[in-house]
Amino acid sequence: MNARRTLTKIVGVTQTAIGGIAVIFAFLFFYNVFGIHSMIGVTKNGVGFYLWIFIIFGLLSLISGLFLYYEES
Amino acid sequence: MKKAENMDEQHLKRNLGLIRTTMMGVGGSLSAANFVIIGEAAGMAGYAIIPIVVVCGFLSLLTMFSYAELGTAIPLAGGEYTFAKVAYGGFTGFLTGWFEWLSNMFYTALSAIGFAYVVSYLFPQINIPLTAVVVVIVFAFINLKGTKETATAETIITIVVLAILAVFVIGGLSYAQEPQANPAGSSIGILGIFAATAYLFELYLGAEAVAAAQAEVKNPGRNIPLAIVLSAVILIVLYTSVVSVAVGIVRPDVLSHQSSPIAFVAEQVLGPFGAILITIGLAITGLAATNEAIMAQSRVLYAMSRDGYLPKGLCKVHKRYCTPHVAIIVSAIFTVIFAATGFVNFVVYAVNLGFIIGFSVVNLSVIKLRKIAPHLKRPFKAPLYPLTPIAGIAASVFLVLFIEPSVLVLGFELIIVALLVYYIKMIGHHRIRIAFGGISLGLGGFTAFVAYLLGTNAIVLNGVSSVMLTLIIGILVFVSVIQLLAGMLSVTSSER
Repeated sequence: MNARRTLTKIVGVTQTAIGGIAVIFAFLFFYNVFGIHSMIGVTKNGVGFYLWIFIIFGLLSLISGLFLYYEES
Repeated sequence: MKKAENMDEQHLKRNLGLIRTTMMGVGGSLSAANFVIIGEAAGMAGYAIIPIVVVCGFLSLLTMFSYAELGTAIPLAGGEYTFAKVAYGGFTGFLTGWFEWLSNMFYTALSAIGFAYVVSYLFPQINIPLTAVVVVIVFAFINLKGTKETATAETIITIVVLAILAVFVIGGLSYAQEPQANPAGSSIGILGIFAATAYLFELYLGAEAVAAAQAEVKNPGRNIPLAIVLSAVILIVLYTSVVSVAVGIVRPDVLSHQSSPIAFVAEQVLGPFGAILITIGLAITGLAATNEAIMAQSRVLYAMSRDGYLPKGLCKVHKRYCTPHVAIIVSAIFTVIFAATGFVNFVVYAVNLGFIIGFSVVNLSVIKLRKIAPHLKRPFKAPLYPLTPIAGIAASVFLVLFIEPSVLVLGFELIIVALLVYYIKMIGHHRIRIAFGGISLGLGGFTAFVAYLLGTNAIVLNGVSSVMLTLIIGILVFVSVIQLLAGMLSVTSSER
């Protein structure tokens, strides 16, 4: 049971970190930091779509990760 | 927990007489932002702003009667939220509390922005959003350490500000001129007048503080209704005089371009001394309004959390200061976001929308409780029932039609969020966790699919080297594994 608890905590923290990075990346992407748009070949019209994907992905991962972590605390 | 109960359910002494109760109603409505939006409204409505100010006062008075009836019949803290909870319960109670919190949150932002605009008249170099944010943070910190609600201090501040505005009105009367033949904004039409009415409705918000303070009022059955009527009359006379003098001295279209319209008019009449005097008076009201609004919104969050509608963490009380510190911090974070925009018009409409919904619920609660609890002891009854609450509801619904569309969209989205929060809170923790487990599995599958498409060159990233591509695919596989693991752990978790 302890192994599962430890694994859950590690996965929870990692998932939260992934979520946080995705949200931060969404903002970097929106402001085209480091020329990300041209790097991955995104047109201006497609920016909004990718932004939503990153934000939704990031927020869901954040919430899910926090749930996992705190359930085992 | 004992401290938490003591915080809002303490036994208060009935030591507020008619004058202090009336001053509480007047002071609750006075805010620096009100004297900033007068300029914008003058630009929208031209000289029609004078009758609009009067109409707004009477529309607000209709609902104040309902506040007085419920405030004296249901002697519990919480305002609209408590009334709706008693009358309707369930989602209606939650939604009312939700909008009460949001409108107080927007009101805090508006008060802070109003303060910044007023001060910017004397110090034009200040950054308005930054100043508003600093004011919110400072007062959130003050509220964290605890503030004593001193009716005496509020009475003194209100009287001082009223005196300063009286100097402005009396000094300006001799300078005021007849409306010009072709003033800018005179051809706004009836729709423009309604739009300006919806905009200026904010002027009288806060007078309901009289009903909220019923526990401290001597002879509430007599003093609360009297104080409500008296404060409404004082506010109508005050705002009408100030607006009449302002548009009588400076043309409405010129007024609308000023950061602090009343200070600008005062400078024309009384010179630099007038501008400084008005700025000081309005700045004080701006700070006082920000402080009160932060306190009000945190108490709503606290009450909703205590009742199980919001996470329990929000009703934690600080061990040392006995304040709901988590609710204050959460409220301040949201307020800072809106204060940082510095957008007066958007925030004004958002405040109005929240309060219009709150006013409607209060009027509906009066009608509902008269039906389901006819024997409830009511020291004061709304006159001309059911005409007054019905007229209040009709006026509220009508004004909503003229709220800025972007704010209406925001309001609709906030209702959706409220629905989500309510049902997530109600359906139980374990089921939420299972739901998020499913979401994590979905995210894992999606990430794995994207990695597969990149690996098979079905998606081509231009300008990315093969080493970089391998790194990206590796990251995606890692993310996918974590998401799938998280999903399985959540779905297979045991119910506690």
